[in-house]
Amino acid sequence: MLSVPSPKPLVASTDDATEYAIEVTGLGVRYSLRFTKKTTVRQTFQGLFQRREGPSHFWALRGVDVRLVHGESLAVIGPNGAGKSTLLQTLAGILQPSEGVVDVRGTVSSLLQLGAGFDQELTGRENILLAGAFMGMEHREMMDRLPGIMEFADIGDFMEAPIKTYSSGMRARLGFAIATAVDPDILLLDEVLATGDQVFRAKSMGRVMELVTSAKAIVLVTHDMNWVTQLCNRAILLEKGQIILEGDPEEVVALHQEHSEIARREKEAQMAARLAGTKRASR
Amino acid sequence: MIAYPAMSAASPTQAHYRTTAERPGSFSQILVGWREVWSRRRLIRYLVQADMKKTGSDTLLGNIWWVMDPLLQMLVYVVFISIIRGTTTPDYPLFVFSAILPWKWFMTSTQEGIQSVVTRERLIKQLQFPKLVLPVASTASGLVSFMFGLIPLAGLLLLLYRDRLDPHLLLLPAVMAVQFVFTMAVGVFLSAVNTFYRDVGNVSRHALRLWFYLSPALYSLDEVRKSHPTIAAFENFNPFAVLFTSYRAIIYNGTMPDWGGLAAWLITSLVLVALATAFFKRLEPSFAKIL
Repeated sequence: MLSVPSPKPLVASTDDATEYAIEVTGLGVRYSLRFTKKTTVRQTFQGLFQRREGPSHFWALRGVDVRLVHGESLAVIGPNGAGKSTLLQTLAGILQPSEGVVDVRGTVSSLLQLGAGFDQELTGRENILLAGAFMGMEHREMMDRLPGIMEFADIGDFMEAPIKTYSSGMRARLGFAIATAVDPDILLLDEVLATGDQVFRAKSMGRVMELVTSAKAIVLVTHDMNWVTQLCNRAILLEKGQIILEGDPEEVVALHQEHSEIARREKEAQMAARLAGTKRASR
Repeated sequence: MIAYPAMSAASPTQAHYRTTAERPGSFSQILVGWREVWSRRRLIRYLVQADMKKTGSDTLLGNIWWVMDPLLQMLVYVVFISIIRGTTTPDYPLFVFSAILPWKWFMTSTQEGIQSVVTRERLIKQLQFPKLVLPVASTASGLVSFMFGLIPLAGLLLLLYRDRLDPHLLLLPAVMAVQFVFTMAVGVFLSAVNTFYRDVGNVSRHALRLWFYLSPALYSLDEVRKSHPTIAAFENFNPFAVLFTSYRAIIYNGTMPDWGGLAAWLITSLVLVALATAFFKRLEPSFAKIL
């Protein structure tokens, strides 16, 4: 296994005096399998009397170290279920570590999937104010930013219409405009840049670039490898809750693609074997 | 590219935070919880407004339903009671109405409070914010619709029961305050439980109905003391025995409310709110994992 024990940032020189924007040490996040989605009392009582098979919990992340200085943009890549979103949720303060320490210095914006907090009955304008209130922004500050958000989202007359009448592209635009308009020190983005039309994609990339250059730290989770190499100056590859490789985006992407290729071939071989098996059985 | 206004110096979003596996003690969590709620007053206001907008946006009569609803409910009970047993209580519609109105507040606040956390599932997984505001907002929006319910009450008093108008009515906020605190305790506690066991919503519907019939809403406390001693014993532990009797005293009888009972339930409810908050804050970190 290719593991890099001590992550070395490639851009900024990091003496001990450097203030990290994000400093994660020995992070582990454990999920209990007892209380998974939609437990009912009945299932809990069953659990009391029957021994459950298998482990009672699993680690979505274990022993993860990440350091990020201001001005850096870090890409987190990896296969599905590797713990990418869990890492982002922990950085946003949504999840608390089961072990280890997460230090975040700066304001964080974390509308991880855009438009998650939208209220269908409220208008676009009301939703902007509601989102601001959820994020804990001052009302006056939010009012100052309102024109900028409306202009960036570019939804015109729909501003006074309920969100339920919006197209998915309009929702994504409004969500992106809100998430980036709060001018965070640290921006956490999860698979959001793929939404919207070509024009908006170019526009949102421009805005992300602007945030990067104005010394903001960005953590980006994406499956789009172009974004990784174009936008990020560092990348980490997560697999099964652990960092496999950290470093130059090109190298990390290369290893990721190599690994996915292997995984794909294994899947194909399995499929072929199963196919052969069913053919034999039917004969 | 548009220019964004510069970040103001004092932003309320936590500029620094450190999360570890350690959890603070219950007492400090209660304080933290209520400080968070206080700092998000505006968010609660927005949530209440959104709630108000929702009830009535899809109907023909819109907001008129806030006034019509309790009146129609009263009508149903008056017809129902008159048919099955007949009543000698004078001005029975007002007698029932003074209990239906506060009960409607408690029932909707509790039911919406129970669902308040689970319905914001997506947002909770996307954003860190004090989840305690959700059940508190449900309680508050119940209070707002209760105040709209005072419009038909005023109508009844002015048009039909003018002789029952009495300055004691001005004591209404005192009784409402006790109910508010109690309702909040119930909402905060059950919203946390419901994230783990979704059965709470189903159970509550029937439990609430039973609770209503066991409370002196359609009958007076004195009547039940005479005829059903076992139920009367239950009334000693039922906050709505005190609340309904007090509402009725100031609206219907024009007398002083049960101050002793109200004080006892205010203190009890404050303790319950503290306990419910501690319980909620203990479970809050796991909401994002379980939802």
